[in-house]
Amino acid sequence: MNTLKAVLFLFVFSFSSILSFSQEGGDKLIGVWEPSNGKAKVKIEKIGSKYYGKIVWLKEPIDPETGKPKVDRNNPDESMRSTPIKGYRMLKDFEYTGKKEWSEGTIYDPENGSTYSSTIKMKDENTLDIRGFIGVSALGRTDVWKRLQMPKRK
Amino acid sequence: MKGSINSKLFLATCLALFSFLPTKVLAQVDSTYVEEEEDYSIYDDLEFVDGDAKRFASAKIKGLSPAKLISLGYDYQMGHDITAGAYKSFVEESAQITAVHGVRAQANIPVISKNSLIIQLGARFWDVNYEFEDEASLYHPLLTTLANNNLRTVGLNSTIFKPLNENSFLLFQVSADMNGDYSIPEFQGLNYNRYSAAALWGKRPSDYKQWAIGVSRTYRAGELNYIPVILYNWTSVSNTWGTEILFPARAHLRYTLNPRNMLFVGFELEGNSYRVGNQNNAFVDPFDGTKDELEIRRGELRFRFKYERQLIGFFWLSAQAGCRVNYSYNVDDVPNGTDFYRGFFGDQPLAMQNTLSNPFYFNVSINLVSP
Repeated sequence: MNTLKAVLFLFVFSFSSILSFSQEGGDKLIGVWEPSNGKAKVKIEKIGSKYYGKIVWLKEPIDPETGKPKVDRNNPDESMRSTPIKGYRMLKDFEYTGKKEWSEGTIYDPENGSTYSSTIKMKDENTLDIRGFIGVSALGRTDVWKRLQMPKRK
Repeated sequence: MKGSINSKLFLATCLALFSFLPTKVLAQVDSTYVEEEEDYSIYDDLEFVDGDAKRFASAKIKGLSPAKLISLGYDYQMGHDITAGAYKSFVEESAQITAVHGVRAQANIPVISKNSLIIQLGARFWDVNYEFEDEASLYHPLLTTLANNNLRTVGLNSTIFKPLNENSFLLFQVSADMNGDYSIPEFQGLNYNRYSAAALWGKRPSDYKQWAIGVSRTYRAGELNYIPVILYNWTSVSNTWGTEILFPARAHLRYTLNPRNMLFVGFELEGNSYRVGNQNNAFVDPFDGTKDELEIRRGELRFRFKYERQLIGFFWLSAQAGCRVNYSYNVDDVPNGTDFYRGFFGDQPLAMQNTLSNPFYFNVSINLVSP
């Protein structure tokens, strides 16, 4: 019976340790963020050990040409061109590397159908520098994203 | 009882081991589109945690052709006539050029690229090789110089884009070019460098349009000029048609087959001031031994069709073909490289008045682009 208690304790301890460790580190990325152009809101979540971001809001959700919700019409993969932009996972596979940085990820730009290598740096708890680049980090561009929250009740 | 404890122990151990399994194995993350039903309306009214975010005008609009970060190309003008004007004791001479061709390599790398500021640094190397019919019979010093030596450009440039707010911006461009018939690595002196600059203020009223006005110091017409410039980039809502204009440097109408295939029709004004006489004594006066310091004021209009398409990933092909129309190929005496401004109304005499006929040309390049 003591052995059972020991194993259960080990389980609970290890689970809570992992949870608290990750929350203190990489999980600070989790939340809803707005890119600098204000055209979208992106919800970053953790799946497994990696971080992903999907588009959850669009400033202009309707395609002015078709009058229908925007789809990923610029995707190089023809089979994806009818996929709705809302719900699209534009950030993929980010791994927390410590020091408030996430790397090894990709960022997709629906406006031109390009996928860039990407790194994320947290400037402060509510500000991200997201850099998309081609091959080497020097060939890239950095965008500033701001954290969003539910409106405070007055 | 013991069996019961053992089964509980097994269960607990499995649970403990299970907790260490990589959760990636359990999660389905390979789908780009998130299929699950979610009430997206909960995100409508979110607000910034720490006050408003400052917004800046983007340097681009929708549908523009991709910016070329690194480019390696080849330019070829077909056969045409040249007439070198009378110069000192040399009378006018006409000759047949069979081809003008050369390599063009350039790079524009963003050293700072964020939403509040973009600074690009660039470098280029252009080589222009003149092939003459019956070279041995040439006697005019300009023609022998062109036949024997390539015209080259080694240049550095910088572009600065500074958004002022969400829909207005400043744009600056500066460049320093060493143009001449020098050999490498025996470059000509820095006092012969030619400097160009432009400053524009503009608006970006929507994702489909940006415009700007400004002034420039330019050698695109061959000799030094100070002229107004107008930028006008526009894309139709359907992303099928558009314009890419930086007048008078270039103006193109764009037809987009898809974001990875684009057709253009338009023109580019291309040119610079090239020092000649670096490598031989062609311009030494045979009577008094003095050497003129001459510069070809080369300016040409290239009316063209252009096709740009993605090859793979961020590598794009650019192919253009059209007619090269001579605007200026005159020669000025520029002692010690100290340039002067003639403008449209100046009366400084030309050292040589030359004419070129207008051949067809093509240009092909492979580019690493930033879409």
